[in-house]
Amino acid sequence: MLRKSILIEIFNYCKYRRMLPRLIILSNLKANNFHTSVLFCKDSPETKDLTVYQNFEAINNKNRNTYLEMVKIFSARDINRRGHVEFIYSALKNMKDFNVEKDLDVYKALIDVLPKGRFVPTNMFQAEFMHYPKQQQCAIDLLEQMETNAVMPDKEIEEMLLNIFGKRGFPLRKFWRMMYWMPKFKNLSPWPLPSPLPNSMLDLAKLAVARISSVDIQSELTVYETKDIPEALEDTWIVSAQSRTQRRLLTEHDTNKPIYVEGSFRIWLKNTAINYFILRADPSPRTNVKYDDDDVSNITVPLFSFITPPKTEVVPVPSVHEQEEGVIFAVCVTGTSGRDSLLSWIRHLEKDGNPELASIPVVFTLKSPERELVSFENANIKQ
Amino acid sequence: MNLIIKQRLFSVHRVKSNLQQILGFKTSCALNLFYERDDKGGYSDNRKYPSKIQMIRDGLKELKQEIALWSEEMKESFESDPCLEFRQGETDVAWRFESEKSLEKWVVTSDSDHNEGFSKCSLTLSKHGKGLFSGVLNTELPKDGRIKRAGYCNMKSMRARKSFKRDTHLDWTPYNILVLKVKGDGRSYMLNISTKGFFDITWNDTFNYVLYTRGGPYWQVSKIPFSKFIFSSKGRVQDKQFAIPLNRIASFGISAGDKINGPFSLEIDYIGLEFNPNHVEEFAYEMYETDRYIAGS
Repeated sequence: MLRKSILIEIFNYCKYRRMLPRLIILSNLKANNFHTSVLFCKDSPETKDLTVYQNFEAINNKNRNTYLEMVKIFSARDINRRGHVEFIYSALKNMKDFNVEKDLDVYKALIDVLPKGRFVPTNMFQAEFMHYPKQQQCAIDLLEQMETNAVMPDKEIEEMLLNIFGKRGFPLRKFWRMMYWMPKFKNLSPWPLPSPLPNSMLDLAKLAVARISSVDIQSELTVYETKDIPEALEDTWIVSAQSRTQRRLLTEHDTNKPIYVEGSFRIWLKNTAINYFILRADPSPRTNVKYDDDDVSNITVPLFSFITPPKTEVVPVPSVHEQEEGVIFAVCVTGTSGRDSLLSWIRHLEKDGNPELASIPVVFTLKSPERELVSFENANIKQ
Repeated sequence: MNLIIKQRLFSVHRVKSNLQQILGFKTSCALNLFYERDDKGGYSDNRKYPSKIQMIRDGLKELKQEIALWSEEMKESFESDPCLEFRQGETDVAWRFESEKSLEKWVVTSDSDHNEGFSKCSLTLSKHGKGLFSGVLNTELPKDGRIKRAGYCNMKSMRARKSFKRDTHLDWTPYNILVLKVKGDGRSYMLNISTKGFFDITWNDTFNYVLYTRGGPYWQVSKIPFSKFIFSSKGRVQDKQFAIPLNRIASFGISAGDKINGPFSLEIDYIGLEFNPNHVEEFAYEMYETDRYIAGS
């Protein structure tokens, strides 16, 4: 009587008889574009004996190296790699804690856990009916997570997936979709930001102010220090932007009317919110003269004058800074967002080409954001 | 044209609240190959109907408005004098946000409406009398083991309709550019144009594009050609793309869901349409031919 294992051996032989030549071809590929299975793993066996497999959650020192070490331990644990789908899912779930969710190499290492050649369908029915569905879905979910974290796959991932699932695998289709769309969206934003964003608040503030003042290409970005103002209480920086047009508008401003320092308003740079302040005046009254083109009752006909009559209803085109809500004179971000730093900002602006500010009353209308917002951690959670 | 078999196999974006799915191990949407049960996709309105008498009363009240609307339509069709000239640089406003009444044309939803997340949003009038779409986005998942992703807020215009509550489509064929005058907060938003049709396969047809906002105190006018809109269904970009059928616009929407926790605000002045004869592109995306049974399956 044949034993079960022998039966399986015979079955496997029949199943992969057609696969064998293909596998041989695969193993002859260049080493840089083909990830070998565990059988060819070059790991020294003594390290394998020392390490104990544990959960991702149980690791104390969570970083990229320990994460990759976990993947390595799992791959080298035994030949069968039992539970590799579950392992990949738990690895995907714990990526954020290890801070590797944007790391392409880590995703590659996870895909490499899947065995090569084993899941390649050998006939059209297998191909159509999602051969090894759990494994394919796992790879799809992995690619989905890459997409969510804006990690663009590369050619190597395509080769790995081809080796694992064959060219009709569903993960491949997902990959091709990603490679069609992701490059199209990658540089779509008209206000591109460096990736990753700088860590220092000053650099972020510079980016934010540059982005706001990109409406006017003449805007000049200046970084002031509050300590340059003798009576300043706070010691911080001020990133300010003002253009030539804004200076002109300020000189044209009626000195009897007050101007306002308003804020803080919020601008998002990717996932970082930055508070900014504006210096504005009430909107200049717009003369909206209704002119009827069809009215011919009152036409002055110049008899001996050969110059065109001066047009009275013409106003200069308002600049971009003359918005409906008010005239904007300057924008700034300060290190502390405090009242004193804004006072220093006005002093700096006065020194820096706006002497009119000395005679114009400046009102500080600082407030919390426009509406009272519920912090989402404390929001009532109804289940 | 729209009869394309959708790829729904990997639509795990929002798992439907079917009991079956809670019991089984399925992680994807139900693959209803033959028909869709419900045009709301399981998110039906659970509010109770008012009493019969109340409904009759409301109906009679509405009858007056509907007849007025109908007579307006009739007059229009007898006159048969539609606008035929669409000049370059002129924006025809489709929706303007200026009063409380103009906000009634919009439906605001977020994931917390169906207990699928904790985002909150509202469409109100801003201090300066413009529309303000604002709220707090929260990607935290409710702990029911069913929801995989959360964090969206959406505003959508009411379905275009004729008198007596008959559905119709907006006809934007004379235009080729969508114009929005907005003041954002630096976040990016999604524009959704629904071209829902009669058959269930077209119920979830949506064309999407991104609205990037500069942020800051200045208004921005974004002009987006219709040729750039991407065909998607149930939040998934489709393999077989085609240009937006501009004569079949059912509704328009803006959604916030950029996976960034925190408050957002988008001030909107108007949403308009423009014809630019210099923009000749019909569809911005190249249509590669793939092997058989690879794309759209």
